[in-house]
Amino acid sequence: MANLNIDSVKTRTFDAIVIGSGASGGWAAKEFTEKGLKTLVLERGRDVVHVKDYPTTNLYPYELEHRNEITYADKQANPIANRCYAYREDTKHFFVKDEEHPYIQEKDFDWIRGYQVGGKSLLWARQTQRWSAYDFEGPARDGFAIDWPIRYQDIDPWYSYVERFVGIAGNKDGLYTLPDGDFLPGYPLNAVEDYFRQSVHKNFKGRHVISARCAHLSEPQPIHIQQGRVKCQNRVLCQRGCPFGGYFSSNASTIPWAQKTGNLTLRPHSVVHSILYDQESGKANGVKVIDTESLEEIDFFANVIFVNASALNTNLILLNSKSDRFPEGLGNDNGLMGKYIAFHNYTARISAEYDGLLEYRTDGRNPAGGGYIPNFRNVDRQETDFLRGWAATFGAGRSPIRDTDGVGDGLKKELLHDSKWSNWRVHSHMMGETIPKEENRVWLDTGKTDKWGIPLLHIDVDYAEDDWLRRKDYYQQMTSMFEAAGFTNIRTQDDGRRPGNDIHEMGGVRMGHDPKTSLLNKWNQLHLCKNVYVTDGACMTSTATQNPTLTYMALTARAVDHAVKSLKSGEL
Amino acid sequence: MNVDVINRRAAIRRLLFIAGGTLLLPACYRQSGKTTIELNHLVIEEEQEDLLAELVETIIPSSDTPGGKELLLHLFVLKMVDDCHSPEDQEAFITGLSTFSTYSRELMGQDFMKLAVDKRLVFLESLKEVENEEVKRFYGITKRRTIQGYTNSKYVMTDLKKYELVPGRYNGYFKMT
Repeated sequence: MANLNIDSVKTRTFDAIVIGSGASGGWAAKEFTEKGLKTLVLERGRDVVHVKDYPTTNLYPYELEHRNEITYADKQANPIANRCYAYREDTKHFFVKDEEHPYIQEKDFDWIRGYQVGGKSLLWARQTQRWSAYDFEGPARDGFAIDWPIRYQDIDPWYSYVERFVGIAGNKDGLYTLPDGDFLPGYPLNAVEDYFRQSVHKNFKGRHVISARCAHLSEPQPIHIQQGRVKCQNRVLCQRGCPFGGYFSSNASTIPWAQKTGNLTLRPHSVVHSILYDQESGKANGVKVIDTESLEEIDFFANVIFVNASALNTNLILLNSKSDRFPEGLGNDNGLMGKYIAFHNYTARISAEYDGLLEYRTDGRNPAGGGYIPNFRNVDRQETDFLRGWAATFGAGRSPIRDTDGVGDGLKKELLHDSKWSNWRVHSHMMGETIPKEENRVWLDTGKTDKWGIPLLHIDVDYAEDDWLRRKDYYQQMTSMFEAAGFTNIRTQDDGRRPGNDIHEMGGVRMGHDPKTSLLNKWNQLHLCKNVYVTDGACMTSTATQNPTLTYMALTARAVDHAVKSLKSGEL
Repeated sequence: MNVDVINRRAAIRRLLFIAGGTLLLPACYRQSGKTTIELNHLVIEEEQEDLLAELVETIIPSSDTPGGKELLLHLFVLKMVDDCHSPEDQEAFITGLSTFSTYSRELMGQDFMKLAVDKRLVFLESLKEVENEEVKRFYGITKRRTIQGYTNSKYVMTDLKKYELVPGRYNGYFKMT
């Protein structure tokens, strides 16, 4: 321990510690500091200050050295990061490079990470859908994993609470499987997306195509202006960091908000080694941090600790938090920590052409990306040979036809014209629920460590048979929906995506009723160490089909509310 | 100071202009017969750079608007091949570039540099059926990168087809005229 004198301990003692500054950690910081708690946020990476630290944000395409391509050397050095769709010349500084933070793949697993203040909230796809009653009731109804200890009505008000602050563009669609929220105006579908919506509605009972819901300020409200954010400018260069705060990130929203309270201490370059457990009180009393610049080991103390390190790193920290009482990791008496890791199956795509509505094209850019098809499978009853369902994106667009066969003046004209346009090209990709399984797991290596002496993580996660049945169903159903709309040239494609590359890793520290079969209770507290809360992806009992970030943020706000009340009542 | 150096400096200024002011740096002022830009992998001689300049000019000729040579697309091609292509591609590119003139002599009876513009076009047209693998790959890479460099150049994106950073627009029912 670095320094034990009393003054030093005092300066290292806070009311609350939050590990991680991504979407969920940022929310924990905002909620704690607003409620008057002196809060320390630990971030393993560097600071990224809104606008100031977005070096590429205002660059024109010709100002990027390689016109946004990744160099050959970078591709060779970082095959994992390079498999992420968002890893480009203009964004690569926000991604972890492969060799910087190694992990051990028992099976192919792309662990895509963003180690900086704001984490992956700078880089996310900003799709934000609520879970439904169908999703929270899933494991109990269909007999997999374990029952969620909460239901839709437990989180409903917290979804609203988060949505109002974040700013979600969407329409009220009135769907059971995808509840409406407190929305800003949605981004309209384009001509062919809208045509497909009508076709599906007419020909397929219970299926819907809606405007994708996304965390963009289509019409900022006073609460957003107070954050210093303004209307989304449809740049769709989001992953560079947005100087307008047009989309939600911790950097643009929750972190500066927390800073304004005067209660936030943000500490970048702080890798958490473990959470400290105090045998006498039966509670955690702090965290051990390694300063990545000084390499000093420093302990910080607090009454309550939120773990928001991103799903797999949260598993890692808790597994590494060993004590006499918890030799297998904090709160891990049942040995289930690190197990039941799940993700989303993103392996399938389908594309086609449409030669109608050629009097229209899209002009400009849609920040929402287009349409969304909420899950319609196995909703009322089990109807397929796999459990649960899938959701899908749907988009349509046209591009200029350019014949680049020739050279000279003819080629020059071809490259500049704006008169010949292709047929509509339509495309979709699947977002499949996966069923959490005990054998999909992570654990700590007993010998190998990273450069800070923290054990490396083994990741052993794979697809299962039902993922391929689900994919087959996606191909079949989408094909019939495309055919009914008169689309031609329909092509299905396995995009070969590895687990992890959905960037929705979940579980390992799941919520549940029973301490024998779960790690967290219905308030996201460790059953066996109540002042430690986990509200990032690690807490997830099942995956549903929705993009999960909105749910993490809502669970976080709800858990902080519980923690602060428990602190006041003396329960913690 | 000789004219060549002055031209070279003008070119470098323009180069910095097209590349955004920070990106491509001159290796030297062509005292050693080497290329204008610093390259890490490719070894390119002065005359090869000149040949490449004529080639990109033939692919995208100047008219009432600038062409490939003025927009320094040959340097863009070199930069991209040097940084973004595999060693195999680079080898084929260099070999193809070296063979290019020989090939032109065989087919057209003269070096590419000495051909009149219309003959150059005929020669490039004939490359569609070329059997020499390196020449084919060299030309394919050069043409693709020339097109990319042109359509993504500041000139085209500012003066010919305006790229709008902000405010962006979105109209999903834009009526075609």
